[in-house]
Amino acid sequence: MMRDVLAAFVLLNVVVLIVTYLTYVERKFAARMQSRIGPYRVGRPHGWLQPIADAIKLLIKEDIVPALADRPVYNLAPIVFLLPSLLIFATIPFAPGLGLADLNIGILFFLAVSSLEIVGLFMGGWGSNNKYALLSAMRAVNQIISYEVPFVVTALIPVLLAGSLKLSTIVQAQEGLWFVAYPVIGQLAFVAFIVATIASENRVPFDILEAESELVAGFRVEYSGMKFALIQLAEYTHMFGVSCLGALLFLGGWLGPGLPGWAWFLLKALFIFLLVTWVRWSFVRIRVDQILGLSWKVLLPATLVLLMATGFWVALGGGHVA
Amino acid sequence: MVPESYYTALSAILFTIGVVGVLVRRNPLVIFMSIELMLNAANLALVAFGHRFGAADAQVLAFFVMTVAAAEVAVGLAIIVTIFRLRRRLSVDELSIMRW
Amino acid sequence: MSLEAAAFWGLALVLLASGLAVVLSKNLFHSVLYLALALVATAGLFLLLQAEFLAAVQILLYAGGVITIVVFAIVVTERLVGERLVQTNRGIVNGGLVSLAVLIAIIIFVTRATLPQTPPPPPADLTQAIGRDLLTRFVLPFELLAVLFLAALLGALFFARKEE
Repeated sequence: MMRDVLAAFVLLNVVVLIVTYLTYVERKFAARMQSRIGPYRVGRPHGWLQPIADAIKLLIKEDIVPALADRPVYNLAPIVFLLPSLLIFATIPFAPGLGLADLNIGILFFLAVSSLEIVGLFMGGWGSNNKYALLSAMRAVNQIISYEVPFVVTALIPVLLAGSLKLSTIVQAQEGLWFVAYPVIGQLAFVAFIVATIASENRVPFDILEAESELVAGFRVEYSGMKFALIQLAEYTHMFGVSCLGALLFLGGWLGPGLPGWAWFLLKALFIFLLVTWVRWSFVRIRVDQILGLSWKVLLPATLVLLMATGFWVALGGGHVA
Repeated sequence: MVPESYYTALSAILFTIGVVGVLVRRNPLVIFMSIELMLNAANLALVAFGHRFGAADAQVLAFFVMTVAAAEVAVGLAIIVTIFRLRRRLSVDELSIMRW
Repeated sequence: MSLEAAAFWGLALVLLASGLAVVLSKNLFHSVLYLALALVATAGLFLLLQAEFLAAVQILLYAGGVITIVVFAIVVTERLVGERLVQTNRGIVNGGLVSLAVLIAIIIFVTRATLPQTPPPPPADLTQAIGRDLLTRFVLPFELLAVLFLAALLGALFFARKEE
């Protein structure tokens, strides 16, 4: 009991620390892509204290609540938004035996809990009582319903190949060949996974719900100080969680030569994070109807066909069914 | 070990709350949510009994209930929104236009 | 009090309180948030009953799907017109009486049920058992469900189409 609590506490802090530094990685990476230097002044070398400075700055800022806001909803929203993002790490195995709870239904737990995030999002959008925030929350609801389905379907492809819902078993099934290297199915599924990830994380080119030029900043336009920091933390934590899931499902999790398992795992998660960041800084935003059309008319049928093809492949004896 | 009868009692109370909601409230959306509560209560009872009998059947049934509820929400809310578009207000009394 | 009992009473309290709040809240948006809480609490109770699979499906389908759609309907119907609909209730006394009768009926019905005194050991892997049952003994309802979904999809599309 005490040991579990302690383990959860340690994991929580490690995850938050990693996520804090992911913002730094993203800023540096984006800066390189645009031939800039990025944060440089705070901390030497290369401004490595910048994320800490940002966090302190946000902590000591004034907390503003709009006069017409729905107070309880407005105040609770950042917490409801953050909780699912942290909870998803409970089931992620970082290395063999290194994880809080390797559930039998691990991947289902992950998908279920991470879908709760939307509740916090529209609480913020509605509670702010601001037209931009509400519009943004509406768009988010649209987009997340649309991309949840293909996301779940692509996540099911590795499940079919491994014959288990348990994340560690899925990784073990990739001992010989990572699922991303699976002929045809693997690559297509990975591409679909990345697209669905970008969309469900509301990143450019699917960031219509924060669209700076039209919606100011989306559902968090009224948030400031600590609450803004929590929302920001939640977004990056969720992004990191989904990157971890991608590493587990397609890139063979902790498997790899030389380095210890957890290092391989973090490297692979970082790779997916950087892939998404790369897309973010390379493309322009697309229109709402185009985004929804892409999901329902292209991504969903394509992933369903892929799932069926995988099913046939496994039925013919191609999977790792235990 | 909490006995299953506690779960069924809980489910009975929850179901009754749902019944109150359907009977007393006027807004079709609230009625909708109350129906969800009732379905939920039924599921809870199913799972509790299933736990007692140690079989997976109850969970399969509960799974069916959930999926049917999801389909029902999609169509039901589409109807509600359509009625709202026609009438510009939302009350179950408006639903009388659906008879013929 | 064991951990399990504490969890049960806590979840039961949250479930009943949020269920009541769904029905009694004057604010539609608060109602749906309480509904989300009630659904998550039910998922917690499923976990206590060793139905992990069902708990996950409950959250995925209800909290992720149903709640989202209800919120969408609320936003569409509440904010387009300037003033909000005043939420009036009707027949509180009659409704209360009928509900009481329903509660008594359920209690009578449930207490009459005969249950095995000691639960038999559950199957080793319940999730696997559910999957197997779905595609063997319950394959007909399962397929019918697919037809139902198709019908629901078409129905929703019918209502959402543009007026000609």
